[in-house]
Amino acid sequence: MASSRVDPMTLSTVWHSLQSICREMRHVVDRTSQNYLIAQLHDISIGIWDGTGKTVAIPIGLSTQYLGGKLSVEYVLNKFKGNLHPGDVILVNDPYKGYCCHLPDWGFYRPIFYKGDLLFFTMCRAHQMDTGGSFPGGYFPNAYDIHAEGMCIPGIKVMEGDREREDVMELILNNVRWPQGVRIDNYAQIASLRVCEQRVTALLDKYGKETVQACLAEMFDRTERTVRNTIERIPDGTYYGEAATDDDGTELDVPVWVRCKLTVRGDTIEVDFAESDKQRKGYVNCVYNTTFSVTLSALFMFMDPALGEYHNEGSLRPVTILAPPGSVVNAQYPATVGASPVNMGHQIIESVVMAMSQAMPERAIACWGKRYGHYIFGTDPRTNERYVVTTFDMDGGAGAVRGFDGYEGATPIGTLGEVNKGNVEEVEMRFPWQCQRWEFAEDTCGAGKWRGAAGIHWQYENIGSDAGMATGSSDGERVRAAGALGGEPAPNSRAFLTRQGETTRINSHRLYQLKTGDVIHKISGGGAGVGEPAERDPELVRRDVINEFITIEKARDAYKVVIDPETLQIDREQTSKLRTASGAGK
Amino acid sequence: MLKTAIDVGGTFTDCLVLDEQGQIHQFKSPTIPDDPALGLINVLKKTATFFKMELPEFMSNVGLFIAHGSTLATNALLTGRIAKVGLMATKGFRDTIEIRRGYKNIRTSRFNVFVPPYKPLVPRYLRIPVEERILSTGEILKPLKEDDIYAAIKKFKEEKVEAVAICFLHSYLNPAHEKRALDICRQEMNGTYVTASHEVLPVFREYERFSTTVVSAAIGPITERYLAALSERLRELGGGLVQSVEESARRAVSLIGSGPAAAPSGAIRLGQCIGTNNLVSVDVGGTSFDICLIQNGVIPTTDYNWVGDERVAMKLVDVQSIGAGGGSIAWIDSLGLLRVGPQSAGADPGPACYGKGGNRPAVTDADLVLGYVPADYFLGGEIPLKADLAEKAIRSVAEPLGLDVPTAAKTIFTTVNSLMADKMIEVSTKRGYDVRDFALVVGGGAGPVHSAHLAELLEIPTVIVPRYAAAYSAFGMLNMELGRHFSRSVIARMKLLDLERVNQLFLDMEAEGRQILTEIGIAPQDAVLKRSMDMRYVGQFHEVEVTGVPLGAISPAELEKITQAFHVRHKDLYTFNMREREVEFLNLRLEATARHETLKLAEIPKASQEASSALKRRRRVLWSLDRGYEETPVYDGTRLVAGHKISGPAIIEEPATTVVIPESYACTVDGVKNYILQRR
Repeated sequence: MASSRVDPMTLSTVWHSLQSICREMRHVVDRTSQNYLIAQLHDISIGIWDGTGKTVAIPIGLSTQYLGGKLSVEYVLNKFKGNLHPGDVILVNDPYKGYCCHLPDWGFYRPIFYKGDLLFFTMCRAHQMDTGGSFPGGYFPNAYDIHAEGMCIPGIKVMEGDREREDVMELILNNVRWPQGVRIDNYAQIASLRVCEQRVTALLDKYGKETVQACLAEMFDRTERTVRNTIERIPDGTYYGEAATDDDGTELDVPVWVRCKLTVRGDTIEVDFAESDKQRKGYVNCVYNTTFSVTLSALFMFMDPALGEYHNEGSLRPVTILAPPGSVVNAQYPATVGASPVNMGHQIIESVVMAMSQAMPERAIACWGKRYGHYIFGTDPRTNERYVVTTFDMDGGAGAVRGFDGYEGATPIGTLGEVNKGNVEEVEMRFPWQCQRWEFAEDTCGAGKWRGAAGIHWQYENIGSDAGMATGSSDGERVRAAGALGGEPAPNSRAFLTRQGETTRINSHRLYQLKTGDVIHKISGGGAGVGEPAERDPELVRRDVINEFITIEKARDAYKVVIDPETLQIDREQTSKLRTASGAGK
Repeated sequence: MLKTAIDVGGTFTDCLVLDEQGQIHQFKSPTIPDDPALGLINVLKKTATFFKMELPEFMSNVGLFIAHGSTLATNALLTGRIAKVGLMATKGFRDTIEIRRGYKNIRTSRFNVFVPPYKPLVPRYLRIPVEERILSTGEILKPLKEDDIYAAIKKFKEEKVEAVAICFLHSYLNPAHEKRALDICRQEMNGTYVTASHEVLPVFREYERFSTTVVSAAIGPITERYLAALSERLRELGGGLVQSVEESARRAVSLIGSGPAAAPSGAIRLGQCIGTNNLVSVDVGGTSFDICLIQNGVIPTTDYNWVGDERVAMKLVDVQSIGAGGGSIAWIDSLGLLRVGPQSAGADPGPACYGKGGNRPAVTDADLVLGYVPADYFLGGEIPLKADLAEKAIRSVAEPLGLDVPTAAKTIFTTVNSLMADKMIEVSTKRGYDVRDFALVVGGGAGPVHSAHLAELLEIPTVIVPRYAAAYSAFGMLNMELGRHFSRSVIARMKLLDLERVNQLFLDMEAEGRQILTEIGIAPQDAVLKRSMDMRYVGQFHEVEVTGVPLGAISPAELEKITQAFHVRHKDLYTFNMREREVEFLNLRLEATARHETLKLAEIPKASQEASSALKRRRRVLWSLDRGYEETPVYDGTRLVAGHKISGPAIIEEPATTVVIPESYACTVDGVKNYILQRR
């Protein structure tokens, strides 16, 4: 294990410093931004790449936004060849040219020069509160093409020599709603890049360019070796996974499928999405970068947990990801991509998790609660200002893993819990909505020997003006995500609208007009289970009944545990009969 | 009068007594986990005996008495030895503490999904919904349904609940419903510990407030028992207790973090010895490394705290901690990297060299192999160290790394120093400061062993090693300002701010502050009140605390000045501000403390001979891998006096610690027996 390149001490110091720089950058954005998604929910990613685009440090962020950041850095390098200077900041959001995910995710890049050499790139990409287009928020269906979804920004310099290009920024901000807010967030992002440059420069001063570069090479090699070791232990073979989203928002009620064929050969993995559906008219299309990013994220869940914050270029090397152009997982210009981080981003992860859980049953993972979000836009009568609001509050929790129940409350698989939920008191203060209920919903967790986390009952009343609602970031009303090793999927999510005493069903991937006094109810499905439900410890089943996570009926039907409704004790005899009859414990 | 500070730690209860001459006397006695009050009395008896007095007589000579049982509360929480808690929550919101804003285990990478789910302090069946609802304006939407309270109480009694937490939405603004529920509970559940969120933390954001309240309830009974036992015993002895027992018991959660909170006050006093108030205070214990950055003599506070897996949003002294200390274990991860900590060998079995069965290499093992700490004089010879066992343990990581034992020891030493240094940089840059502009003040048994190397890594020019480094926390208590923080939410943008209400809330807090200070025996004229305001730009989510808010009625002109101060502070903290944006006010804060005099420290004799007169021996120390082990002078700390100067490389052995001075530093003994290390 000994390395000839650098001494263990320096290697470890440099490696950890690069991670802590990223954490520090996030801290800067956290504390200074104003967009609910960024500041409270952490819809933000930060990373460091080397001067050629190799991934150096990616400890925090949303997979879909940045695990494939190297593609984007390579694009910037290419486009600005010979024209990159200290103090430049480049802004990109174009999925087709700049390898971004969808238009609201604006990435700011800064080249880091040291004694005249371009040695690093840093990027901060975050979901803006607006990016133009027909409706606020970015998750609205039925745009004509990508241009109707919002402003497409190819790589352009917004700062030169640390001076803002004011006319360029003016043009951009003139094309978004809430330009003042977006400007705050952009400043926050740019400030974080500056912090990174200062810290990386100090690191280079301390250890010297050669040593730091030797560390990078060593870091890549070690990560690669560890990932290859894990893959090598998986039996060679081909494993399949699939998942669908409710529909594409244009052709309604027709699920769209992603299918993966995952081949393990020696110490390599190839993930081939050739059998996936074709590119759609609706906004669920993913560009290759999205597919690339989220597939990596799914694979990382199965790797050595010690690798967590250490993933880098080396983790990418043993993996090949194939997605045919023109498919829903490698959409071509000018297809719409608005919903892609959630739909199909989450489904791509689900399909890979499904395949990997067969390849590595000892580390089986069930799918998590589906994203059940929306964007609401209206006017707040208290200030007469326009607002847009989204939240992850209603999303069900994590799927089970082999050995543990799902983590309650965690946000969906695409975020891996990186996003936070809000506070009712903050929402009510900020937006003209009043919360009536926000708690776990009974019988919404996927059954299993290890059960999924619960879904959530979320209910709010509109006390503001008439408003619009786009349910684009929702899913799971018609499709369910897979459990593993015999664990069951969670039930479907459901949403309702109550207007003047009358309650009607509302659906994912639609646009709705809301009136003052309308009440939205959302009951999300939770995480899926791992292992046969009839093998779950009856005492745990009883505890779930007492805690009202599941009903007595569910205990009997799914878990084959009979519980006396009066005493809430387990009827051992009946339970044993039921379990024998169902063939449990074989 | 004597001043006495007692720190009830996990293993030992430390007692420092400062006499009128400024002489400090140190005593210790084992902590008794089942009856910490008894352990405290034991150390007091030992102390009284030293002063040739009976305990009551000794106590009547004590002018200032501070005792902290902070580890009691923290350990109870960390080990799960907590009360069975019942929660009453606004109907529809009983799961807030388990949804917990989606926080997964905060110390685990997001790619590690193989973690057990969070186990809430109150299981769902003991979280009872109560019909009531108050709006964000403070208006009552739904009146309190008292039947629900009685039903909950019935359930709690059946379930033998030991503590009750009452958590209603927007109670920070209108506590009427919580107050009524409290009254009913206190009436119906005599003897049960009951608390409500507006009592514990009357500020907005319900997850943070509820979580803190539930934590307070969970540790309430154990804290209450300890404080009751303590006050009972002290009463028998005729002595008073400075901290109001009843007040502490009601807000049990405020005991958390009170231990590490003391150290920075000691650091400020030590900084005065060299005339600086820009300090980094570090405390290196067996398992953890605590850092606090003090700028211009101001001790920073924060409300973003986690204790174990629990969110505690009380405002606490901002002491950042990492799992790195003398007992931290070195290991090799799957990437082949040498890592140190956070796992620790603790006190038992301790590092391998203790010979108590530990076989994994700890930082102290490396310190020993390198020659920094003496085998025969560790803790004054109390624990003989075994070098062969240390070497054997280190070999287990040396071989896979392809290193020899001394090189591996040096790698462990440097790795743990780098970890500490990285954390120090993070703490300082997070707040926008350059750590090189600060003096390092170091405490804890292992602190002086590592401090000069740490300073070298960070290019810190000056290190202060106090004589009582090993009882750093108790020393801090002697210097601490007694008092409490108060807060109230106002939440309004500048143009909608109700100044009258602001002024009234400040007055309310000041009255409360004065009363609490009176209860603990502080005269009104000795009360020091400091106001601050949490502010942000409209739309932002995180607030910036603006200090220096004037006392008395605040006028619009003063409000404008406060706003200007906010712009400046924002820029200081985050590199930019936006003067054109409207600002928003969130919380009003008041700090009520007792005026206190600077602690007088006894002068020590001046040197009449060269420092070489204190030379104890020479031993082989590995300062540099290139040069190998080198004979190094070792001085007897007890024989060093004011004015002695020792240039590195050298080592000073004190009974409770070892001061390691590398070549790049020179050490001077100052007039009160601090070791001042200066970069050469």
